[in-house]
This record gives sequence, structure tokens and C-alpha cells, in this order.
Amino acid sequence: MTVYRIKQILLESYPVLVLCATVSLAAGFLLDASTAEIRRLPLILMMVPPINGINNNICSILGARLASALHMGTVEPRFKRQRVLSGNIHASWLMSMGVFWFMGAIFFAIAYMSGLGFGSSLMWMFGFFFASMIAIAVTMLCTVVLAFVSFARGLDPDNVVIPVVTSIGDISGVACLLIMVKIIGV
Amino acid sequence: MPRGMRIRAIVIQGLSILLLCALVELCAGNVFEGMKESLTMALPGLIVMVPPLLDLRGNINGALASRLGTALHTGVIEPKLSMSAELKVNLASSLILSFLASATIGIFSFAASALLGVKTIGVISLVLVAIIAGVISGIILAVLTVAVAVFSYMRGWDPDNVTAPLMATIGDLVTMLCIFLAVLLVG
Repeated sequence: MTVYRIKQILLESYPVLVLCATVSLAAGFLLDASTAEIRRLPLILMMVPPINGINNNICSILGARLASALHMGTVEPRFKRQRVLSGNIHASWLMSMGVFWFMGAIFFAIAYMSGLGFGSSLMWMFGFFFASMIAIAVTMLCTVVLAFVSFARGLDPDNVVIPVVTSIGDISGVACLLIMVKIIGV
Repeated sequence: MPRGMRIRAIVIQGLSILLLCALVELCAGNVFEGMKESLTMALPGLIVMVPPLLDLRGNINGALASRLGTALHTGVIEPKLSMSAELKVNLASSLILSFLASATIGIFSFAASALLGVKTIGVISLVLVAIIAGVISGIILAVLTVAVAVFSYMRGWDPDNVTAPLMATIGDLVTMLCIFLAVLLVG
């Protein structure tokens, strides 16, 4: 008898995957409508793949780590007094800072070279940075809650967390970018 | 291990992979967009199906990578490249999921297009493209996922930090190529 069983993996994963695919399908239709606004701004369009990609990657790492930790018993599904959990969140947060500052600097360079002034290039850089930090904070919170809830309910977080969190990550990334555009006001 | 060390290891391993993926994403982003455009031009109806297929690919491999990470940590799977029963179960379920979920996406895409009056190719061709692309990319990526997870563990890296992000980035490219292949085969 193996620890993993095909039937269990299928039963846990299939509904989640179909749900996420449906969200993605709907998002595809919606994106066509809402990106008309983004398409006018090539710089924002360029920001969408990295913000979503990094967001999803950091939260996938966090999700995978939490799932392993829950299975090994080094993290328990509660929030208070969890040293391993806070270490993980701390590490994810540091990674986000590092990678988003790096990407922000790249976008600053691109904006500046494409002929925007120094001030507005700087504004785009900070805009990108703050949009991505808010997006990642939301997605990280969802990751932890989802890992705990699925584990507490007897599901394998390995099967559930990454698919759902990447769907949430895509939405929060684009939403935060759109809000940033509204605030900066182009 | 002291707590500070652990955080440092996560950040160093994660950050190096993330920067790599972000650069690939930035450079390949435009190529992906171009590929998507030409795909959707090639066959009406594909435009709806491509994003969910890419997501599905990432999700199935992400879950596989996540399970492998747990299995390696808990010692359920040994860090060597041989077929154990546990590995077989994990691979088999990923491939069955690829088949079932791709077929579902094909049907849903057809239904959604019909509902919203988007012009599309027949439901059978759409489902065929989804299944062929899903299963071929599933096989390629499942093998890669196992290799990356086992190798990173053998080298003393935590597979949880490395496998899922790397596979998400490689996965998009492979899946896109497989959709092209499937379109050629069906169309």
C-alpha cells in the first residue's frame, strides 16, 4: 500500500483544477474587455507577466513549503506562536522585496530609455513596487489560510494550495496594477 | 539549524530561481504574446482555450512538484532516479488529471464560445487539441519535474524552493509549443 493513492489525488485535484480553469476561462473573456485600457500603456502591459509570474512563484514556494511543514508536523494549522511559519513568511517577504525592487529598477530603466522624464520614470518604478507588494501580501495571506484550512479539513495541501493560489495571484496582480494606474492617473 | 540560517537558505535559493524566472518571463513575455496571437489567428476558438490550458499545466505540475517536495522531505520518496511505487502513483495521477482536465477545458471552451457567440472550430477538434496538447506537455513536464525535484534534493537544495517556480516558467513555453503541435496534428 503506497502513501499516495491515485484515487485520492484525482478526487482532490480534479474539482480544484476545473474550478481554476473556469476562472481562467472567464478571466480570458474579461481581460479582453478590461485590457483595452491597459493596451494603451505598453509599460503596464509589460508589467503584467512579471508581476503575475513572481507573485505566483513566491506563493507557490510558500505553499509547497507550508505543505511539507504541515506534513512533517513542524507547522500546525494555527496562527499563534508558530516560529517556522513566521520564518517562512519572513523569507517570502524578503524574497518579494528583493525581486520586486530588482524588477522595479528594470522598469525604471525601460521607462527612462523610452523617453519618459526622470520623475515620471521614478513614479512608475514606485507604482510598480507598491502595486506588487500589495498584491503579494494579499496572495500570501490567502496561501497561509488555504494551506491551514485544507490541512485541517483532511485534504492534502499539496493538491489544493498551488492551483487556487495561482488563480488568486493572477487576479490580485492585475487588479493592483489597474488600481495603481488609476491612482497615478495616466 | 538556527532559524536565521534557514531563512537565509530560503531567500538565497528562492531569490536566485525567482530572478532567473522573472528575466525569462520578461524576455519571453512578448514571444508568448506573439505565439498566442498567431495561435488564435490559426484556429478560431483557441483564444478562449489557451489561458486555461496554460494555467492547468502550471497547476498540475505545481501540485506534483509540491507533493514531491513533501515526499522527499518525509522520506516517502528516495532521492534517486528510479521508479518507486510512490513515484508511479504520483506520475500516473498527474497524467490522468492532464487527460481529464484538458478534455473538460475543451468542452467548457466550446460551450463558453457558443454561449457568447464567439466563432469556433468544432467541439471534437477543440477537445482533441486540448487533450493532445495537455497529455504531451504533461508527459514532458512530469519527467522534468521529477528530475528537477530529485536533483535539487540531492544537491542539498530544498525542492520546495526550486521546483514549482522553475516548472511554471518552463511549463508555459513547453505547453505553448505543444498546443502548436496539436494544432498542426488536428488542423
